[in-house]
Amino acid sequence: MTAATTLDPDSLNATADWQRRAMWIVVPLALVGLQLIFAGTRLPEHLDETFSDPLDDFAGWAQQNRSSNWLFTVIFRPLTSLVSTGLETIEETLLWVPWFVIPIAIFLYIARTRAWKSAIAASLAIIYPGLVGLWEVTIETLALMGMAIVLSVLIGVPIGVLAAFRRGFDTAIRPVLDAMQTIPAPVYFVPMVMFFGIGPVPATLATVIYALPPVVRLTTLGIRGVAQQSVEASTMFGATRWQTLRKVQIPMALPTIMAGVTQTIMMALGIVVLATLLGAGGLGQSVMDTLSQRRTGRGVATGLAVVAIAAVLDRLGRAVVGQDRATAPSRRTVLICVGGVIGLIIFGRSANYIAFPEMWETRAFDPIDDGVKWARDNLRWFTRAFNDTVVSWYYVPVRDYLTDSVAWPVIIASAAALGAWLKGWRLALLNVCAMGSILLIGMWELSIDTFVQVVAAVVLSILLAIPVGVAAGRHRRVEAALSPVLDALQTIPSLVYIIPAVTLFTIGVVPGLIASILYAIVPGVRLAALGIKQVPTESVEASQMFGATPRQTMFGVRIPLAARTIMAGVNQVIMLVLAMVIISGLVGGGGLGFETISAVKNSEVGLGFEVGFAIVMMAIVLDRSSQAIADRVGAPEVAAH
Amino acid sequence: MIGEAISSPCLSARGIWKIFGNRPRRALEMADTGASRAEVREATGCTIGARDVSFDALHGETFVIMGLSGSGKSTLLRCVARLSPLSRGSVILEGEDLTAMTEAELRSVRRAKLSMVFQHFGLFWHRRVIDNVAYGLEVQGVDRKTRHSKAEEMLDLVGLEGCGGSYPHQLSGGMQQRVGLARALVVEPTVLFFDEPFSALDPLIRRDMQDELLRIQTGIGGTVIFVTHDFDEAIKLGDRIAVMKDGEFDQVGTAAELIMNPATEYVEEFVKGVPRVKVLRVGDVLTELDGPAPPQRVPAGESLETVLPLLVANTDDIAVLDDHGTAVGRIDRAAVTRLIQPQP
Ligand SMILES: Nc1ncnc2c1ncn2[C@@H]1O[C@H](COP(=O)(O)OP(=O)(O)O)[C@@H](O)[C@H]1O
Ligand SMILES: [Mg+2]
Repeated sequence: MTAATTLDPDSLNATADWQRRAMWIVVPLALVGLQLIFAGTRLPEHLDETFSDPLDDFAGWAQQNRSSNWLFTVIFRPLTSLVSTGLETIEETLLWVPWFVIPIAIFLYIARTRAWKSAIAASLAIIYPGLVGLWEVTIETLALMGMAIVLSVLIGVPIGVLAAFRRGFDTAIRPVLDAMQTIPAPVYFVPMVMFFGIGPVPATLATVIYALPPVVRLTTLGIRGVAQQSVEASTMFGATRWQTLRKVQIPMALPTIMAGVTQTIMMALGIVVLATLLGAGGLGQSVMDTLSQRRTGRGVATGLAVVAIAAVLDRLGRAVVGQDRATAPSRRTVLICVGGVIGLIIFGRSANYIAFPEMWETRAFDPIDDGVKWARDNLRWFTRAFNDTVVSWYYVPVRDYLTDSVAWPVIIASAAALGAWLKGWRLALLNVCAMGSILLIGMWELSIDTFVQVVAAVVLSILLAIPVGVAAGRHRRVEAALSPVLDALQTIPSLVYIIPAVTLFTIGVVPGLIASILYAIVPGVRLAALGIKQVPTESVEASQMFGATPRQTMFGVRIPLAARTIMAGVNQVIMLVLAMVIISGLVGGGGLGFETISAVKNSEVGLGFEVGFAIVMMAIVLDRSSQAIADRVGAPEVAAH
Repeated sequence: MIGEAISSPCLSARGIWKIFGNRPRRALEMADTGASRAEVREATGCTIGARDVSFDALHGETFVIMGLSGSGKSTLLRCVARLSPLSRGSVILEGEDLTAMTEAELRSVRRAKLSMVFQHFGLFWHRRVIDNVAYGLEVQGVDRKTRHSKAEEMLDLVGLEGCGGSYPHQLSGGMQQRVGLARALVVEPTVLFFDEPFSALDPLIRRDMQDELLRIQTGIGGTVIFVTHDFDEAIKLGDRIAVMKDGEFDQVGTAAELIMNPATEYVEEFVKGVPRVKVLRVGDVLTELDGPAPPQRVPAGESLETVLPLLVANTDDIAVLDDHGTAVGRIDRAAVTRLIQPQP
């Protein structure tokens, strides 16, 4: 690679080359100069209040006019009562029905598509929370999730369809969807609180907003992906647009749309815990409780209940559409089944056998607690050392150095220089604007605090993820062994594995760091494995034919050819670490995360917006920069075929 | 190739232009002053897909549009079928101007008169075969029972008895296109559009399908606009053939006319490899009688191939008779021998 640049024969490039090299001296000198000039200057007077005051005023106004202004009486109040009626109805119905009817009904509903295995899996999965004494909270969460998912589909599919047909609309909503996915959920919890207060309704609506993008995107993708000739065939027969949409485009796009719904379900369950900040209650609240009690075993039990619900909803979602006419059960069978279910309900109600029987409840997972306790008592020499190393050798000094010693203009100028070097003046400008605005709203120090933690989590995640991913990409067995672990890490609420971390390391930055790594490592591993697997066999064989050692093939062929995909994984790692900033805030991570939580808890709208804004700015800078790095590192994309 | 009903124009294309790109107006202005396709693209970035194309497809005729890939056949067909907007020009179907219609009017014309078969079948993969075929009737609001029985009939006609309950992906490629064909035929269209319907099929199956189409066409007798890049297919199916290049027609005529008098080098290229004795008819090659009719006689409609043995066996010319049995010309042995010799 270096050979290519030094051997460059084009003499015209020589001056440009020389200039480029000079930059390596000029830029650092300029930065040092800036540092000398600005050393010791304080941060500029914040425009802080200028931004947050109007927002706080607005929030105050909203608080006062909740009962009089049309915005509330005409829009928010009816919406609230509609959603809350829906939630209550679902929840009460599910609790009114004798418990054993629910797994049977789920089994029958899925079984009608002849997906026997998933029917059995789903009906067992729904029993699990009952076995560990979480039946009622699970029903509560199930109602909220079901409502949120149905709303997401009802809102998301039409939007996606519209976007598929209207380019302008598509271009308009795309950045909104991007933002919805980048902004950590608690950031828009704040306006939710402002408009809807605290309770299951704002929790549901926040979940809808958070989980909406995949349905919209995949609906658009699916509709666009329908073979043009099929659509034209329909048109040629004189079908109206609506007929074509209903009879051809939506049915043909259905598999893709359902993939979106599945993702939406997963995302909705992903913020089940955070939604408790808004008063969601249910399983999320139980997880929170286990955190404050430091009961890892109970936390795992509760976390698995969330996973179980995910599995149930996923299978149910598939069963809604997964039916060929060829395999449909006869009308008689359907009648018998429905009759049977009604019979069971009557039987259960009249025998008064309704609530889930109490069983092993809390005891089953106690061994885990014992294990964690043992580790806490016996591995103190290690945990203490690790904690102290991270905190006093990395976190505190670097944070203090960046806040106290390095002048802020130097940091912004460095970011600009980096942006310019990576991608050109646009990225430089973006970095300056984003960081400048963080500075102006008075979030500079908190952001640096968070940034230092994020960097640590990202670096450690990547150091772990790439070798593991490469190994998984090379060896099927490693991959097979890893796969369930990765799935679990992504579906179990991250707060669950923060519990042992808190027990072992006590409150502070380290548990958040560990949880972030565990959560964010997954796409890193997956994409590294994918990248390695996708390297064309021909390239590898070519290398081997020249007598390259496995090592040479790995570093000379496989990794460079996989670099683009691996870097996509790195980018995702960064975004997930950022998403965990808030969770870290829950366990003493400080920085923006802690501030967000207190803003939501105390309904400080202005502060909430500021922190949210800072997180989004940081996300944008890190996202664009890491993508720019990916573009530089990645091998040029090879044309398909 | 149906003889009887060919008479009045059924579908007429008048001066059709299609410009792809962001500055169609400027491109049209340039083209009007005589700028070439390349010049227009250079100056405006627009591609001329169809350039002032006109033709009449007669009732019951199979009108073939033939040309290399990229010559603009699909573009033209899609304009004529009103699947994509024209930049200029009009399409007249039985006296009605399709280009001047509202969306709703066009829709009712489509329901009553048009159908199309696509290169990649354009099937509805989520519907059973029977519901694919019945689709045209379904959007018209025909009740389920009627449309299914008509669809069954059509499946029988294309040789797919008993396949109605399957899904299209369970069938082979050739059978899938039969579904496409049945789907197009079930609405009894006045005009049937085909866009390279058989080019995705294996050669043997392609030949089957061509024969099938000829057979069905004889029975039903609608007007067919058929696009293909395969000259042999064009000869086999077409009453008349339009040879297309760079968005324009180079020549329009019967297979014999193209073979005997290719208008451009491009047409000549296509014609070159064609086995003439198989394609040409006696009537295509006759010379004027300059004396009394020779004793040996053949009808004008006979293929040249069948009279070859006579030519070899005889030293005299052979008289050619028209439908009424009167001698209309003779076959000049020397001229025919020259004609059927391999082309340089
Ligand atoms: N949607 C489009 N946008 C721009 N150019 C197009 C479009 N469709 C076709 N073309 C161009 O028009 C020309 C004719 O294409 P087409 O009609 O598909 O050819 P054929 O069907 O004869 O193979 C080609 O040069 C093609 O690139
Ligand atoms: Mg084509």
